[in-house]
Amino acid sequence: MEKVLTTHFANERYRRLDTYRRYGGYEALKKAFAMTPEEIIDEVKKANLRGRGGAGFPAGVKWGFLPKDLSRPRVLVINADEGEPGTFKDRLIMSRGPHLLLEGIAISCFALRAHACWIYIRGEFAREAGIVDEAIAEAYAAGFLGKNILESGFDLDVTVHRGAGAYICGEETSLINSLEGKRGWPRLKPPFPASVGAFGLPTIVNNVETIADIPWIVTHGGETFAGLGVEKNGGTRLIGVSGAVNRPGVYELSAGVNLKEIIYHHAGGIRDGKALKAVIPGGSSTPVLRPDEIDVSYDIESMGKIGTMAGSGGVIVIPEGTCMVRSLSVLMNFYAHESCGQCTPCREGTGWLKKIVGRIEAGKGRQGDVELILDLCDNMMGRTICPLADAAVMPAQSFIWKFREEFDRHIGEQKCPYGNRF
Amino acid sequence: MSAVFSEAGRAEFERLLTRYPDRKAVILPALHLAQKEFGYVSDEAIVYIAGLVGTSPAEIEGVATFYTMYNRKPVGKYHVQICRNISCSLLGAEHLIEHVSEKLGVRPGETTPDGKFTLSTVECLGSCGTAPVMQVNDEYHENLTVESIDRILDPLP
Amino acid sequence: MPTLTINGMTVDVPQGTSILNAAKEVGVEIPHYCYHPKLSIAGNCRMCLVEVEKFPKLQTACSTVVTDGMVVRTDTDKVRKAVTGVLELMLIHHPIDCPICDQAGECGLQNYYMKFGLHKSRYALEDKIHKKKVQEIGGQIVLDAERCILCSRCVRFLEEVTGTRELHFFDRADHSEIAIFPGKPLSNNYTGNLADICPVGALTSKDFRFKCRVWFLKVFDSICTGCSKGCNVDAHHKGDILYRLKPRWNDAVNQAWMCDFGRLTYKAMNEARLLTPFVREEGARKVAAWGSLLPDVAFRLKAAADKGGPDRVAVIASPQSSNEELYLLRGLATSLLGTKNLAFTHRVAGDGFADDFLIQADKNPNSRGAVLLGIPGGAAFDALVSKIAGGGIDALLVFGDALGTLSEEETATLLAKVPFVAQVGTNEGPVSKAATAVLPSASVAERGGTFTNHAGRVQRFRFGFPPRGKARNPLEILLSLGNRLGAGWTFSGEASVFRALAESEAPFAGMSYDSIGMFGQEIKC
Repeated sequence: MEKVLTTHFANERYRRLDTYRRYGGYEALKKAFAMTPEEIIDEVKKANLRGRGGAGFPAGVKWGFLPKDLSRPRVLVINADEGEPGTFKDRLIMSRGPHLLLEGIAISCFALRAHACWIYIRGEFAREAGIVDEAIAEAYAAGFLGKNILESGFDLDVTVHRGAGAYICGEETSLINSLEGKRGWPRLKPPFPASVGAFGLPTIVNNVETIADIPWIVTHGGETFAGLGVEKNGGTRLIGVSGAVNRPGVYELSAGVNLKEIIYHHAGGIRDGKALKAVIPGGSSTPVLRPDEIDVSYDIESMGKIGTMAGSGGVIVIPEGTCMVRSLSVLMNFYAHESCGQCTPCREGTGWLKKIVGRIEAGKGRQGDVELILDLCDNMMGRTICPLADAAVMPAQSFIWKFREEFDRHIGEQKCPYGNRF
Repeated sequence: MSAVFSEAGRAEFERLLTRYPDRKAVILPALHLAQKEFGYVSDEAIVYIAGLVGTSPAEIEGVATFYTMYNRKPVGKYHVQICRNISCSLLGAEHLIEHVSEKLGVRPGETTPDGKFTLSTVECLGSCGTAPVMQVNDEYHENLTVESIDRILDPLP
Repeated sequence: MPTLTINGMTVDVPQGTSILNAAKEVGVEIPHYCYHPKLSIAGNCRMCLVEVEKFPKLQTACSTVVTDGMVVRTDTDKVRKAVTGVLELMLIHHPIDCPICDQAGECGLQNYYMKFGLHKSRYALEDKIHKKKVQEIGGQIVLDAERCILCSRCVRFLEEVTGTRELHFFDRADHSEIAIFPGKPLSNNYTGNLADICPVGALTSKDFRFKCRVWFLKVFDSICTGCSKGCNVDAHHKGDILYRLKPRWNDAVNQAWMCDFGRLTYKAMNEARLLTPFVREEGARKVAAWGSLLPDVAFRLKAAADKGGPDRVAVIASPQSSNEELYLLRGLATSLLGTKNLAFTHRVAGDGFADDFLIQADKNPNSRGAVLLGIPGGAAFDALVSKIAGGGIDALLVFGDALGTLSEEETATLLAKVPFVAQVGTNEGPVSKAATAVLPSASVAERGGTFTNHAGRVQRFRFGFPPRGKARNPLEILLSLGNRLGAGWTFSGEASVFRALAESEAPFAGMSYDSIGMFGQEIKC
């Protein structure tokens, strides 16, 4: 299968400019400069490139939201916050192929007529930030960034901006606030970043992988990229498989690969000879699937049809013998810890969910606790400034809907049948 | 104890100012810089940065306390941060946390009396494919077992 | 003008109006905490969620702009459940401090709980998160972080109105807490407004703490007398004691704010008041009766003018007097006593501090009024003081409690040169300690009238409660003195005096209490 991104990732030297160029690096940028911005955007639209951060918004459409009038400078911001549990692909791109990202940035900024780009890298990725910084320095020195790139007359400045530990900063308006030096509070929308974004300027925020796909799209054309996937979800995806599988890791596969195939073929099936109990398909915020639900195409539309999401491409595999209440408790702790605290339903609701589920797992659940959780979920879902509350609700609801008897048993027996262990 | 950037730190701060159109955007990098220079983000560091940026200490404190990586209290020489999220838990993180806790004689959130280790449990570190994972200061350690953790921590000076 | 249909009622609103404000136009109250008309839109409390046709999710009314043809409902079960849900979440950690909380009776949580809640708590008491209570954070404010609903009004106020940013959110999630940075308390002149805008008892007035339950207080419209800005205020009282002043809305003067100094000016109306008329005989105070004192004062003034000529009589006016009172006083001085010795000073002891927001250097409410009515200040006052010091005055009528910045000793020395000094004043001070006859005056809370602020805006202050003790409305005192001097005044109250004033004084031409209305009216220049 044709690979867009990872062809040379096994080569540790691919992150250096000389090796990157040896394998055709920055040729796409040269080709892009011979195109018009409109032509490039058109290729991206034809590519059916859906955002790779988790929301899956069509990149070409998002790019089209920038105002036609060029009086205010526009900027590109790269979302390298990679905080969704189960997701670890952008780290790979930045550590193994940073120039792919930079070339993608250069082409995208040319298409967007942006002359400034910030790469927001989560604070914990100190090593990756260092690697990207080195690549940026190499690119500036070689004239692929900075003034008059490749004699094109196009100027571009790229800066790495490190986060400092907040999952919420993966939400684009929270990221923008964090970039501006503020607490990572998401903003009310409208206005959308394309009209009022970073520093008040028209801004496009895109995920690392989305932008890293751009050079290939320019080289081979949008339609070819689209053909690697399925109808409304073009190209390949970097899919991360983690949990109880024999071969956890990142796999570059068609956007339309089968989920069962991802788990059993590519990731080698369930480890220790166990049976499968559950799959969280697209990062922890996506509704959980039972084993009988995973024979499905992993593309965005198909996953939506079965009531879950492909999300950020993070497949979390849960084996038999795992306590689903304990698993949910881990997730509820996560969302309660990460809520930014700005709006009432999420701030108070995530904390309450954590306490109720924790109580059930500790064998102190009360009759009516499950109904209380579901009612609380209703009061949180769709009521907040950003979808973090929804992200907490979807696991809570889906775990209860699909594994109800485990919750009832914890409450009825006043203990965890799995001994409060994983 | 006063907090003032070293010459190199000050130079870095000035360089950072040139990378953004708005002065306040340097607040996050400046706090990282302060943590590097002073070991942790002290009260004095907050006031110092507020002065450099041109805003109130309360605003800087608001930013510093929002993000988990800024330590408002000193941490040990080695900050051992073990992930407790779902993929790591499925592969035994709880057991590893217990092991390190017993080994160091501290509970998560505490520092050893000699100031060498602080143990914390953290949320997803973004390396789920090599779970269980921990971060010691800035470095990631992956595919952890009880034995490999001992091999990592024991030799630390 | 886009048209909005809300709960079946249709209304046209100006472009850019939010659903929340449009709803007000048709009497639909949408509950909210974080929204404040004078602050940026936060949209974080989530109380104002409403159903908007064509939107799958509920929308916040404060941040959603009305578009033409928009259809909104606030009265559906879905909205009701959403509001109750948000309220429940807001209350899970809220300490039920009502019995000891000053906010009780004017509390946003109490009010909306009675309307939209009335539910029993489903949250375990032992799970409640506790935060720091009773923190002195500077200025006029006490902070109780546990009561805070994190609506961010205070943070936005200190960012957008004062620019001083002393309060901020610390930490994250449900451990978020509003606080000052240790050692950096509130240090601006507008801290009192924080207690006004806080919907709950998290930020409360230190001065008002535990003094009175708000449901015992009555309110009347007044004007702050702290400086010439003339901030509009609501004066709160129980009986004849004032408990607090809060800003009253007036976009032309003070928007929704007032300064900390002004807030405390009510104390002077409660404390150290002159409450009984008296005369000084052989250095001691002797209580007098109005019935005999007023004729006596009139007689003494007239006698001095007759004997030595009008130039031997003087009148010192006060920029604390109303336009109406100054009008009559001018008539009394210039027409009835025939003297040119009439002046006022705006100087007061203190620093004359001013800022570029509300605080004016002139610490009197009606200096402009005095000038417009032809009463000179500045050099004229200094000249008059010199005349008095030179022994040139036999009878002096003084309005006010002090003579400019003269100390108690200086005032005593000066007034000792005048055989007869009659004072009309409200509070004990340098003048009352040296005057021959003291006629206690009603405070600004105990009478009505108008002041002219620094910008020439004429504003009404209203009668609140009858004068304390034996104090009298200075208008009555002036009418009584004037008529004893042959004025023939038939005025029946301040409104009738103002009518006369408006007829004869060019800057006030055409004005009436009606035209002044609730927000004041600017003079003609």
